[in-house]
Amino acid sequence: MAEKHKAAPMVDEISDFEVLEIAVRELAIEKGLFTAEDHQQWSEYMETVGPLPAARLVAKAWLDPEYKKLAVTDGVKASLEVGIDWIHDMPSHFGTPSDYCNLRVVADTPKLKHVVVCTLCSCYPRPILGQSPEWYRTPNYRRRIVRWPRQVLSEFGLVVPEDVEIRVEDSNQKSRFIVLPVRPEGTEGWTEDQLAEIVTRDCLIGVAVPKPGKTNVDKRPVHPAINPVGH
Amino acid sequence: MSKTHYDREHHIKKATNVGDPQCFRGEAGPAKFKVGDRVRVKDLPSLFYSRTMFYTRGAECTVAELVYESPPAEDEAWDNCENPEWFYSVIFKQKDLWPEYPDAYANDTLETELSERWLELV
Repeated sequence: MAEKHKAAPMVDEISDFEVLEIAVRELAIEKGLFTAEDHQQWSEYMETVGPLPAARLVAKAWLDPEYKKLAVTDGVKASLEVGIDWIHDMPSHFGTPSDYCNLRVVADTPKLKHVVVCTLCSCYPRPILGQSPEWYRTPNYRRRIVRWPRQVLSEFGLVVPEDVEIRVEDSNQKSRFIVLPVRPEGTEGWTEDQLAEIVTRDCLIGVAVPKPGKTNVDKRPVHPAINPVGH
Repeated sequence: MSKTHYDREHHIKKATNVGDPQCFRGEAGPAKFKVGDRVRVKDLPSLFYSRTMFYTRGAECTVAELVYESPPAEDEAWDNCENPEWFYSVIFKQKDLWPEYPDAYANDTLETELSERWLELV
């Protein structure tokens, strides 16, 4: 009987892919392709990148039509103005965290809504958006968004009107995409800082639209319990 | 054909401080298609590696933009950078990809990129 009460292991068994990653990494270090220090420096660098520069890019484009034109025609050049150099800034001094450096900024209009996916696996504009959310990499999102975009978007809480065209961007070659959403009403006279705050990561992937008052730094909503404990 | 010394770093040397696909600019020659062309995705065999989605094969689409030049994924997977091609951004009507797509949303589209070898004029 005593065995039945043994504590469950704190960490689950390691997955096949984790074993594979460790094996390839250790082989690469042994072969001298990179050092353990390089690997650590790279991993730490990757933890520091996030979606703030992309939010800033959108805010600037809302305020400056000339900059918007640049963003839509040359995303890599436009990224320089928000502090992201796709080509030179990597700690390894070559390549980018997503291998390729062709950023396309796709602009929504009141009659056109973009949403980004990589049906192959997980192409994502990492230098300007950081690591992709877990759901972006799931087969569930990848296989359904291309075929049933309206249904999937409604699961994110975004209901797109019938007369608005949805354009799914399947990013599976060398371009990486961010969405430049329509500037929402109620933001007249806002500063760049205020505008950047409402451009969340999900708005940049295209599964949400910016709303005044909805930011990344909002307090979590607290709701009263539906069936409160009676004491 | 066999190389006595294989330069494992040829891509890094070429792309450093230039970027990929930027480092292949000007290497693909004249483009076969232009913006606005109606094209069809060929259903070529892809035995080892491809990035051409099966859902696009055989479907018709419109060239929206000539995006960059690059070796196609089928070559690059084997480290062959010798024959860069034009890449096209193409737009499909969702109706042309998924027969059951609702008529109410006939305007919905899907955009993706394909290399020249995968496209033919309709």
